[in-house]
Amino acid sequence: MSTLEVEPGAAPESGLVTTDTLDNFDEMSCSLEEIKNINPSIEDEESNDNAIINEHFDETVSNDNEVASVDDDFELNKDWIGKDKHVFVLSMAGKPIYSRYGNEDKLAWLFGVMQTLVSFIQSSDDCIQSIHAGNTHFVFLVKKPLILVTVSKTRESESQLRIQLNYVFNQITNILTLTRLNKIYEQRQNYDLRRLLSGVERLIDHLLTFSENEPSVMLGAVQCLPLAASVRDTISSAITGACSKIKNLVFAILLANNKLITLVRMKKYCLHPADLHLIFNLVQASESFKNSESWTPLCLPRFDASGFLYGHVSYLSEDCQACLLLLTVERDVFFTLSEAKQKIVEKLRRSNCLEAINESLSTPGESSASAGFVEIRHYLYKCKSTSQFYQPILSPPYTQTKEPLTRIYKRAHHRLHNSSRPLKLMFERSADEAILAWDTKGFELFVVFEPLIDTSAAIMLVGRLLNWIKKKEERLFHLNAPTF
Amino acid sequence: MAQTDDSMDDDVFETVDDVNKKLNISVKNTGHPSPTGYRNYRPPPEVLKLCENDVIVSDEPVLHKTILLGDSGVGKTSLLVKFDTGKFQSGNFSATVGIGFTTKVVTVDNTKVKLQIWDTAGQERFRSVTHAYYRDAHALLLLYDVTNKISYDNIRAWLGEIREYAQDDVVIMLLGNKADCGMDRAIRREDGERLAREYNVAFMETSAKSGQNVELAFVAVARELKCRSTGQKDTNTFNVKDYIREQTEKPQCPPCTT
Repeated sequence: MSTLEVEPGAAPESGLVTTDTLDNFDEMSCSLEEIKNINPSIEDEESNDNAIINEHFDETVSNDNEVASVDDDFELNKDWIGKDKHVFVLSMAGKPIYSRYGNEDKLAWLFGVMQTLVSFIQSSDDCIQSIHAGNTHFVFLVKKPLILVTVSKTRESESQLRIQLNYVFNQITNILTLTRLNKIYEQRQNYDLRRLLSGVERLIDHLLTFSENEPSVMLGAVQCLPLAASVRDTISSAITGACSKIKNLVFAILLANNKLITLVRMKKYCLHPADLHLIFNLVQASESFKNSESWTPLCLPRFDASGFLYGHVSYLSEDCQACLLLLTVERDVFFTLSEAKQKIVEKLRRSNCLEAINESLSTPGESSASAGFVEIRHYLYKCKSTSQFYQPILSPPYTQTKEPLTRIYKRAHHRLHNSSRPLKLMFERSADEAILAWDTKGFELFVVFEPLIDTSAAIMLVGRLLNWIKKKEERLFHLNAPTF
Repeated sequence: MAQTDDSMDDDVFETVDDVNKKLNISVKNTGHPSPTGYRNYRPPPEVLKLCENDVIVSDEPVLHKTILLGDSGVGKTSLLVKFDTGKFQSGNFSATVGIGFTTKVVTVDNTKVKLQIWDTAGQERFRSVTHAYYRDAHALLLLYDVTNKISYDNIRAWLGEIREYAQDDVVIMLLGNKADCGMDRAIRREDGERLAREYNVAFMETSAKSGQNVELAFVAVARELKCRSTGQKDTNTFNVKDYIREQTEKPQCPPCTT
């Protein structure tokens, strides 16, 4: 195929870490130490402060106990058993931490079973991976000091499920840092982690829904808000201009509606898409950011799992619902960053960028039919070098429910990346649709066609589609990787 | 010689008009005699601005920092949003992440007081971040939820933290929120009063839902801070506790039947 030359969205430099799908989550970098060594003005992280587990405060977590009723007998509850996907988190000692459905305390017995399974296999120096019973997959992720388990009937592959468990683990690290998590369990093996995670259940719930429904987690990539390249550049330079003098600012991220507008970074440092997904999730799941400018610690586990970055989080203005995050390694620079934010907003307003963002947010986007590809129902295109993807808006028959489409993609994705027999190119027709999945050095492409299309027509269309994306790439992708 | 004279003339008599022409500024001929006696003299804009305002002092109000504290879910953000926007956010509880910063200008006796209000997350894991802001605060609004005994019991621990991290002269006000709860009430009003007396802090019950005492809580703080900053504290012209006692809206209570 001659179209192989075309690689829309590719750029020599990327602000996002290049990801391979089914990324190995064990690699975590230690960028914080580096930055602190460059700018030693920062006082050392107060590790004592972190280690204090405050005992004055009563545990508010377990007081739900008293309101037990018959409905809470989850093992008898059809509704509970019928759930498509359960996710559980427990400590190595078997203490319940999180259950996607139901009250963890009521499920203590079940957590006990999970812990027993893990430790039984461990006693023979091995590690349990998964159990399969018909259509139900039990997938285990043993990641000290936690155990994560999912029970799924969603037909997602084991590796896809494991990615989701990794995301849950990262979400917990995002809140506490890995260092603190380890320290807590070194001090007290049977610590009830829920007291430190109150309110985080909602983030985990949200993250699981996000990872099930959005292709970004499966692809390990982010989608950009379509904007003219000149507008995106103006936005980036407004941010750089206001922030270039601020020491130790690591990332500035502007996003709206789960899409990236721009990412400005400190020289040498890149952001991992998995970390960016956690940020998207935090912004989406936290209504409180809309009330006021906020200041919060957050750990980006792929960037550095050992410590916190501090984030100034705010929406640009009442009339422009894009969220700006300024992430620094300094603990007390809220007001400096708040000033910088004001400057950025003024500049964006003067250069009409706020309007441009609003316009892009309010236009529904293009369907593949309206772009001239009538036989193509939907597609996902991921550029590997920049870790960004593009998809058109949904068109029939997927406008009612997205679920079948998600399932088609997950299945095709699994076929391409099946560890025992990976595929480069796959074309498959069924009564309902035809799918072409293609993995090259530079990109990954999944195209869903009308079911009656033949192979040669499909291949021709894919060539045209790639050229179309190439023509639009400046608008659809964030092609340069600006630094402060 | 004549030539040098000419050039000297130019130097001396170069008028403001000429300068303005060179600088491309148009000057309106107001027809009024110049206050300085120089024809067409126009004071620099910043001087003019001062005159327009009639007041020489800047009217930028003094900034006071107030922190909202208390367990997660007692209604700190709701109270603030009600005060800031007049709206009550019904629907889902959404925990505050980290610290939220809002500024609001309150008018106290015809002067403006600018309150910078820091809304903190109640969860334990954010403590180390919020502690850093205690020492800069001029006032603390400490909330508990009258339907939640644990949040009330934790007030002592909160006061302990305040003593450890905040300034000694910080204004503290204890607020029992969700006073509209009716039957769900777990903490009596008297319990709140007793606790406040014990620690010698001001107290009132509030409701972000009905708006009861919301304005009062913040205005009382603003008033106290204003009095302190103008040095009236010693003369005891204002006492926050007395003020509250006079102003508090008590919920309407049907007469007791004996």
